[in-house]
Amino acid sequence: MIRLTVNGQSHDVEVPTYRTLLDCLRYDLGLTGSKEGCSVGVCGACTVLLDGKMISSCIALAVFADGREVTTVEGLAEDERLHPVQQAFMDAGGFQCGICTPGQVVAAKALLDAIPNPSDTEIREWMLGNLCRCTGYYKIVESIRAAAQPSRA
Amino acid sequence: MAHRIVGQPIGRLDGAEKVSGAALYSADVTLPGLVWGKALRSPLPHARILRLDTSRARALPGVLAVLTARDLPDILVGRRMFDMPLLARDRVRFIGERVAVVAALDPDLAEEALALIEVEYEDLPAVFDPIEALEPGAPLVHENPGAYEGAPPERPHANVQSVLRFKLGDVEAGFREADHIFEHTFRTQLAHHGYLEPHAGVVAIDEDDRVQVWASNKMPFRLKELLSHALALPPARIRVNLTPIGGDFGGKGSLMDLPLAYHLARVTRRPVKMVMSYTEELMAGNPRHPSVITLRTGVTNDGGLVARHVTALFNSGAYAAFKPAPSVNLGGSSMGAGVYRIPHLLIEGFCVYTNNIPCGHARSPGEPQMVFAEESHMDMIAKALSLDPAEFRRRNLLRDGDVLPNGHHLEHVRAKETLEAALKASEWSKPKPPWIGRGVAMTHRHIGVGFTNAHVRLETKGTVTLTIGLPDTGTGAHMVLRQVVAEVLGLSIEEVQIELATTDTFETDSGVGGSRVTHTGGRAAYHAAEKLKEQIQAEAAKLGTPDASFATIAQAAAREGRTLEASHFYDAKAHGAVTSFTAQVAEVAVDPTTGQVTVRRFTTAHDVGTIINPIGHQGQIEGGLIQGLGFALMEELKTDEGRISTLSLGDFKLPTIRDIPPLTTVILEDPVGPGPFRAKAIGEGSISAVAPAIANAVADACGIRILDLPITAEKVYFALKAREQRS
Repeated sequence: MIRLTVNGQSHDVEVPTYRTLLDCLRYDLGLTGSKEGCSVGVCGACTVLLDGKMISSCIALAVFADGREVTTVEGLAEDERLHPVQQAFMDAGGFQCGICTPGQVVAAKALLDAIPNPSDTEIREWMLGNLCRCTGYYKIVESIRAAAQPSRA
Repeated sequence: MAHRIVGQPIGRLDGAEKVSGAALYSADVTLPGLVWGKALRSPLPHARILRLDTSRARALPGVLAVLTARDLPDILVGRRMFDMPLLARDRVRFIGERVAVVAALDPDLAEEALALIEVEYEDLPAVFDPIEALEPGAPLVHENPGAYEGAPPERPHANVQSVLRFKLGDVEAGFREADHIFEHTFRTQLAHHGYLEPHAGVVAIDEDDRVQVWASNKMPFRLKELLSHALALPPARIRVNLTPIGGDFGGKGSLMDLPLAYHLARVTRRPVKMVMSYTEELMAGNPRHPSVITLRTGVTNDGGLVARHVTALFNSGAYAAFKPAPSVNLGGSSMGAGVYRIPHLLIEGFCVYTNNIPCGHARSPGEPQMVFAEESHMDMIAKALSLDPAEFRRRNLLRDGDVLPNGHHLEHVRAKETLEAALKASEWSKPKPPWIGRGVAMTHRHIGVGFTNAHVRLETKGTVTLTIGLPDTGTGAHMVLRQVVAEVLGLSIEEVQIELATTDTFETDSGVGGSRVTHTGGRAAYHAAEKLKEQIQAEAAKLGTPDASFATIAQAAAREGRTLEASHFYDAKAHGAVTSFTAQVAEVAVDPTTGQVTVRRFTTAHDVGTIINPIGHQGQIEGGLIQGLGFALMEELKTDEGRISTLSLGDFKLPTIRDIPPLTTVILEDPVGPGPFRAKAIGEGSISAVAPAIANAVADACGIRILDLPITAEKVYFALKAREQRS
């Protein structure tokens, strides 16, 4: 039995020790926003925040999150209002098929939390672990730049 | 013509569910009592199955069913040519072929059960190389492929799946007119599409005994037909429900695991979910065909192309089942003619059986392979004739009235304008330092054809609902369709909503693929909206208030028990006289000590029709281009005797955000397309010329000509070393 806080809500879950955090989120808690792409921690589709830090939930065990705080894509919007990063991805063409997008927006949020006005180089460094096969990344850079704008004003 | 909504850079208003994580892809669909299916795959490329014992797996608690070929009807499946068993029957033909399938309460249990299945194999002689496969006495992958349903008749060797020919003039006579003849052979690699959503599907048999399907499949109506065949069920018993698709790029049109999920659902009386792991995708998806392409070209002293013979061998793997075209071949072979007028031409494309992973369609099927070969060949000829590669191309470009290899006479040809635009934007003639090179390459792509149903309905609140059977593969096509309907009816984009059909809603639809959706979906929506507009106008006239609001009109009709609605079925059968040209220039730096190639700058110029959504349009250009870059420089499923060694996305390298070069896009808009508001297509326009542009730039930078993709640092390094040692 583990206790973890996901998007501000506390959950007690009984999981086998081999259960990944991603499977726990998707199948035990029904939060299917985080996606399973590569299953080996390189594509970034399963990116979540663990105590505010980005991790690949497909290669983290659920028991590892015991007593800790997880933020998934479902937890980014506040009061039904999309997070500026989510809105920017919609406005600027930052996603197409959307399968990598939950991981992209979680990673981008973490980036803007850490560096409110990132340079293009900083964006490319930070987002390196989030593959996207549709956009060719140009509009992901644009989206993150646009999301950073309000905080510049 | 000025438009109000068409041409506006409207963002993905349909994307809130995707950015918030609410969108349910096939792998996210869950149902009460759902169980998990997993397949056991062959570890050998060609073998007889001597013994298959599933008793230990069956005995594992939590395992609900274990099926082998003996438990299934003896039906072969495919998309055009039906040559693949649901599960291997007595014999496996590639590493990764399914031999058994289990259903269990959770995915981990299913995996555990697979490990308990015992299979004894006896090796059979295997063949992996398409050239060896065509030799007399080569091991046969199938004894009598001509007997398969859908098999094309021509078969020069039992290991040939299909032959596709394009012919203009008299190629032998053409070579007699030539002053010089050049012949070069190129090879391209096996490459997965790289969509990040592995194939996923859920199959349930409902209380009315209907088969409900949720699947990552871009052609739901064709899927229904194929399932009807594979399951020997009447089509009316099957309903395919549309879900968003996590990337397609040509790879998501087959049955994949769905028939097995059905049989597990039938046996367990539970809904069954099957999701491939990415390792399974890389070992048994339906990737892009590797190729060996030889071009032989006759040229006159003044640089005019007079004759060309192209032979393409596509290594198709163990089954033809994944190819959807009636030819069971790759139409991209026709690009052997490039964007040039060649009076005497013969192109022959052979799809060859081997004991490798079966290949399928991938974004502009056959074209990245052929355009790499053809455009590299053009540069090699230019060099031999001491002509500037751009000038050599210029002298031979297609013009109005010229004929394509498929026999179509072209109109509105803007090959030259597109080339000049790319050259200008790339500063083609600007001097450059040593180890820096520029390369140009061109291609063109048809505007796709097919058939689509659209239905529009005026709601009592004055908005319009467009019902469509085209799933969202990510391209933003649904936004394009909303913009078309909004434009016709004078509505805002927010006032047009999309409702997704199921396969119960319409009779048919050709689905997504082949650069067709803006054309066929757009025209279907356009004509349906035009019909609705007429009804609305007639209703307003009846009310005696021509300027009545849509809400007033809809409510007036509703009071009489009527709904204002209209349907249109749009069917485009043949590619027309208009195509879309692309010219691209790569500027690269080659590191003399490591051979590393860095793309410093990339220019892409496109001859396009009316742009309906500039954000989506540019997104297609950029996405295709970076796939082309990956194909050029890094993507490769390495195989050794049929065994793929790059079985994860850590080993099979896709471009990352750090790999993208500074990009200049030049758009030459010319409203002459067959699509709504004279749109053309864009989805497959930017991928194919990238690799040859880079290869040509590498040759320009350091004199090394790479004839086989991908262009890795190792290949350039060893070529530089070899040259050093020679001098």
